[in-house]
Amino acid sequence: MAVFPRTLYALTLLLAMSVLAPWPLRTAEAGDKLVVYSGRAERLIKPVLDEFQAKSGIQIELLSSGTTELVNRLQAEGDHTPADVFLTNDAGSLEHARELKLLRPMNMREVERAIPSQFRAADNSWIGLSGRFWIVVYNTNMVKPEQIKSLLDLGQPQWKDKIAIPNSGSEYLQAGVSVIKTTYGDDRTKQFLQGLKTNAGSQVYQKSSQIVEAVAKGQVTAGIVNHYYIYRHLAAQPTAPIAAIMTDQQEGGMGAIMNVTGIGVTRASKHVESAKLLIEFLVAQAGQKLFADLDKEYPLHPDVKADQALVDRHSFRAALVPLAKLAELREPTLTLIEQVGLR
Amino acid sequence: MLTVTRVPPPSPLQWVSLLTAAFLVLPTGYITYVAVTAAPAVWTRLWSTRIPELLGNTLSLAVSVALTTFVLGVSLAWITVRYDFPGRRMWEWALALPLAMPTYVLAYVYAHLIGMGGPAEQWWQMVLGPDVRLPSPQSFVGVTIIMSLDTFPFVYLLVRGALQNLNISFEEVARACGISPWATLRRVTLPLIRPAMAAGLALVVLYVISDFGAVSLLRYQTLTYAVYQQMTSRYDHTAASILSLLLVLMAIVFLATERWFRQRSRFYQTSGRYRHSTRQHAGLLGTALITGYVVVVFAAAFGIPAAMLIHWSIEAISQGALDARFLGFIWNSTFLAALAASGAVIIGLPLAYLASRRPTRLNIACLQAAYAGYALPGPVAALAVLVLFTHFAPALYGTVVVLIIAYILHFLPVGLQSMEPALQQITPNVEEVARTLGCTTQHTLRRVTLPLVRNGFIAAWVLMFLQTMKELPATLLLRPVGFDTLAIRVWLEASEEYYQLAAPAALLIVLLSLPALMLLVSNDWRRHAQEGAR
Repeated sequence: MAVFPRTLYALTLLLAMSVLAPWPLRTAEAGDKLVVYSGRAERLIKPVLDEFQAKSGIQIELLSSGTTELVNRLQAEGDHTPADVFLTNDAGSLEHARELKLLRPMNMREVERAIPSQFRAADNSWIGLSGRFWIVVYNTNMVKPEQIKSLLDLGQPQWKDKIAIPNSGSEYLQAGVSVIKTTYGDDRTKQFLQGLKTNAGSQVYQKSSQIVEAVAKGQVTAGIVNHYYIYRHLAAQPTAPIAAIMTDQQEGGMGAIMNVTGIGVTRASKHVESAKLLIEFLVAQAGQKLFADLDKEYPLHPDVKADQALVDRHSFRAALVPLAKLAELREPTLTLIEQVGLR
Repeated sequence: MLTVTRVPPPSPLQWVSLLTAAFLVLPTGYITYVAVTAAPAVWTRLWSTRIPELLGNTLSLAVSVALTTFVLGVSLAWITVRYDFPGRRMWEWALALPLAMPTYVLAYVYAHLIGMGGPAEQWWQMVLGPDVRLPSPQSFVGVTIIMSLDTFPFVYLLVRGALQNLNISFEEVARACGISPWATLRRVTLPLIRPAMAAGLALVVLYVISDFGAVSLLRYQTLTYAVYQQMTSRYDHTAASILSLLLVLMAIVFLATERWFRQRSRFYQTSGRYRHSTRQHAGLLGTALITGYVVVVFAAAFGIPAAMLIHWSIEAISQGALDARFLGFIWNSTFLAALAASGAVIIGLPLAYLASRRPTRLNIACLQAAYAGYALPGPVAALAVLVLFTHFAPALYGTVVVLIIAYILHFLPVGLQSMEPALQQITPNVEEVARTLGCTTQHTLRRVTLPLVRNGFIAAWVLMFLQTMKELPATLLLRPVGFDTLAIRVWLEASEEYYQLAAPAALLIVLLSLPALMLLVSNDWRRHAQEGAR
């Protein structure tokens, strides 16, 4: 009979507990602590942050999520944001965050010395840390590398049902299409996307790692991914029949599509000094090596060498569209992508 | 005693319920507003590109899963109620277990097992030659099977309950009147369990159209998945709102159909002459077939995936995947789920109480408003809460409060479905009798009303707890910094194809859900509820 009141007590107790429980509210004022919003897979960033935490004694709190999601979140949170640092994989998104005045201009000698100016915002509100290329992965048993010279080749009818692509929500795809659009104009880009859509059919993936896996298994013959997914897969499975093609290197071609992972300090951050220490750590030679190698990316510091497994950075050239332009190109690109109806 | 009918003055309770209802429809209203006021160009663009495909995909998946779960759920309920076979008691219980397995976990286990180059395909090719392919889990058929395996217990549990409560005398009378067994089934038994079937299928359909985890892991484009994609790849939420509105409309149509079914067929049990059906023995061959069928369904829906999770967890743990952070994830998950479930029970109480005790038009409308959340799938609930909070209470954004509110919006209807009948089954006479016997109002509440509704409320709490434990999209979009839950861990690892690393968290979700599920299916409280009802 008396069971129900007991349940009521339990509920009240629970509510009371919730008030007393460690609310993840803004308790960040206490001590040296940095809240990092990261659009990069947790696995690929946590070791570096752990290293920094061990070295500096500054405690890092990490929120891993999608890039655009985080920009939306930063904007929604405005001045109340708990985030001190925003770190993500797409220069367009970083530049967009700058335009929204979410990031803080920085004046740091270490940064200017270490990172070439084309990889940073003009006012250093975001700073590139490593470079990646959006290129083609192919199955070495099924295709010869000569068959694919340009990314645009994959829109040709002979690749029907043979390729895998990321979904239209992928920032890499959006940035890549922006570069193609700037180089070749709307009509050719549209034609290319139409071809991609037809050729990929249902092979549209949320994650680049899944595309590489599909290629390795022979489910498709080729796919478009960021270069490091290929090397990550090879590091785990050295015998996988896959390789990278650095695309569009032909005479007059646009060059491989490049993007950077970068970092910015939020305008609302109350821990700017700690954030500066993190940036210093990441642009220094040791930090650059650690950060880039973890994900098999190209370090941006000119004196730091890339992982040996990667194609030599001096053997190919990158497309010339400035990274900061990716932000303003994004909306028109999205419209184009939607007109074509990519998934 | 003379009774005077009069319009009751608005009590404080009524105000509370009115405010709650207003609060609950606010998000749906806001989404509708954003969608309706969107530029016509956005609508035309979506109509000409995405909407036809998404509507087609969503509807066809809902229909195919409904059909499959109908066959699975009804046949299994029939077998376990009407036949006796070895281990029947255990299987009765085991067949509800898939409810503890989140759909996205089932999806990722099967994506690995029968996907390209997976163990099942290798084995298949060893038997039948290297060029034979298994049907892909990332196809319409694959998604249908995986979703059906996970949702058939809704139909099974409800139909089983209806069959158990069915008075066998009705069938016997029909038979005595010379009606064939087949016609008896068609004309007596099926109509009697039709409301249960409709309710079960409605749950399944709503689950399917609002599922996010499984369809995104299996890359099957539905409206819910598209809403999430829009929300995470665009800076403005207009397109997401438009797609959400379609989803809400679709869910309302389904719900209205189900209500219509239920209202058309109301049956009343005459008391006193109730008899259980007797169980049949199916003969040796029949028993073997029945057992085989039950074992296969159970293995596919729970046994094999659970075994894989245990296997992967052992591998992951031996690689040191379990660290101190894990305790935090467990705490976060249980804490959030318990808080959301308790909050929803408290919020739902005045609504359900007033609607069943003083069913004025206003009170019923308030209750119906709460059901609006049923039609709000996770990402949509998240979108609504996100937009509203950033406009009106930015200080709370990014805290647990926001997340809990999204959960309550989203799952309160599930709870109300158990709370409403629990309150309805007490006739006011019972309370009046207590009062005439000299109990005070408080005493009556404590000694009569509360014990009678207890079980319905426990069921409501448990259902909401279970759903919140597994919730993914709203958690992904609204969780505070450093507040990962078990579901988030599964998602972060599984979407990067680190299956082993995802396994311990997935296994824990299943384990933590088990006690709640046991409470739900144990016959004990069912019997109590029935006795209470009589």
